[in-house]
Amino acid sequence: MNEQSHQRIARAQWTALLVGLLGTAATIVGAFVNTKQFFFSYLFAFLFWLSLSMGCFAVTTIHQLTGGRWGWPTRRFLEAGFMVLPLMLVLFIPIFFGLHYLYPWARPDEVGADKVLHDRHAYQNGLWYIVRQIFFLLVFIGMAARLRVWSLRQDATADALPTRRARFISGPGIVIYGLLGTFASVDWIMSLELHWYSTMFGVIVLIGQILCAYAFSVVMLALFKGEPPIAAVLDKTQYHQLGNLLLAFVLFWTYVSFGEFLIIYSGDLPHELEWYLHRIAGNWKFVLAAVAAFHFFVPFFLLLFRAAKKHATPLTTLAAMLFVMHIVHTYWLVMPAFHQQNLAVSWMDFTAPIGIGGIWFAFFLSRLRAAPLIPRHDPGLQFAFVYAEP
Amino acid sequence: MAEFIEHDQLLHAARRTYAEGYRNIDAFSPFPIEGLAEAIGHEHTNVPFVTLIGGMIGGLGGYFMHWIAMARLYPLNVGGRPYNSWPNFIPITFELTILIASLTAFISVFIFNRLPELHHPVFNTPEFSRASIDRFFLLIEADDPMFNLDRTQTFLKSLGAHKISIVESEAEE
Repeated sequence: MNEQSHQRIARAQWTALLVGLLGTAATIVGAFVNTKQFFFSYLFAFLFWLSLSMGCFAVTTIHQLTGGRWGWPTRRFLEAGFMVLPLMLVLFIPIFFGLHYLYPWARPDEVGADKVLHDRHAYQNGLWYIVRQIFFLLVFIGMAARLRVWSLRQDATADALPTRRARFISGPGIVIYGLLGTFASVDWIMSLELHWYSTMFGVIVLIGQILCAYAFSVVMLALFKGEPPIAAVLDKTQYHQLGNLLLAFVLFWTYVSFGEFLIIYSGDLPHELEWYLHRIAGNWKFVLAAVAAFHFFVPFFLLLFRAAKKHATPLTTLAAMLFVMHIVHTYWLVMPAFHQQNLAVSWMDFTAPIGIGGIWFAFFLSRLRAAPLIPRHDPGLQFAFVYAEP
Repeated sequence: MAEFIEHDQLLHAARRTYAEGYRNIDAFSPFPIEGLAEAIGHEHTNVPFVTLIGGMIGGLGGYFMHWIAMARLYPLNVGGRPYNSWPNFIPITFELTILIASLTAFISVFIFNRLPELHHPVFNTPEFSRASIDRFFLLIEADDPMFNLDRTQTFLKSLGAHKISIVESEAEE
């Protein structure tokens, strides 16, 4: 990275931090205006940015294990993305103070009156919730930090040992991601509803995270494609491959999301339906329609065309749309637990994601600045250069 | 027909030949070469469009079968759901979309390639059997408007061909 782009990223970093702090300050004011709304807006915003970092971790492990030419130009963006995880652990702390605003199981009067919540209390209680979240985040921070360390050590040596080490973490890493991620999705979102449970829900959340990370890396490639180290390896093939991956994960997301709905629709049981009844109530159904249209139909049909995948502009537009729709989808997952009768947008629903997002980006850019934009000496990197299309 | 030893020689030669103005050309290689199809001018085929039509027939047909049976001819009340209970119809609709689309793709590839074609004049060239082992071939058909036996041979030679052979069509015999 040359001096000029270094300074450009540094300036963007300070701008992001400023925007983030302003957004956070505004949101903190909101905490005194409407505390319950504040906690829900904060949870939604926090979960979105956390899911991006988690997705970056998952995609990096996938690439370490499977290779593919799309992975080397995007590697450093993904690494910088998951290196924000320690910040996310700090940003989790405010939620620990508002559990009784968010979760029915954290309200003693409801637990006392409800047999199911009472039976679940041994697992679902405030102390265990906090212990579990710290444990989940520490495990991911630990694995992510090792992945980053081995990746940076590979930059310094031509010996392939660091990459072998990184692969050695990635195998168990992707399994642990699936296991802990499922438990975490129960804690984060599923238990917002009184009795609802779904075995497919963890998968929906995790696939959404991975899709979001892919979309994010396409957008980052588009922003940095002029930088010399990236321009040297980037051609149509990487866009084509990333486009195919986006298509695959759009399909996977739709498959699990619809599968969950179809099973609950066929079963028609009260404790399963509450989730969907809150999420189609009033104007929420239009949010759902927008998610179905722009998280599935539009990207699915456009990504079928090779022309849309091979060229930077249409693919970046689609990726940016998927990224935005992932925010809307997270909103639709979290917020109907609070506004159960109708869609009610608060100004904090904007300041919270902008605030956390600004701080997230400041950290992301500082991590991006700390390493070369293309990993060096990776044994697979040679394949990134061959078969370049004219 | 020109024979090449390395795959990038063939790719390069195919691009040059196309740039020279030859259109009725074909290439043979023991393994897929990235970019070769584009190099000999295979930009566009009708297979995706025909597959789309097949998929639409499959999808609409699949949904129609449910709708006509469950909502019109023999309305059945399943747990108080509407007769036209669309979420339950999606799996079969989806499966039939994929089934008809893939069958259409498979059959249309056969038809557009005029398969099955059991013999082709290139097999008269003895070395051609190596096209499935370790050699790379570029064929310029005689009915190409640019074709001229001497000039085409000289041109192929200039591309660095290992060997040039003339493929005789049986019709002339």
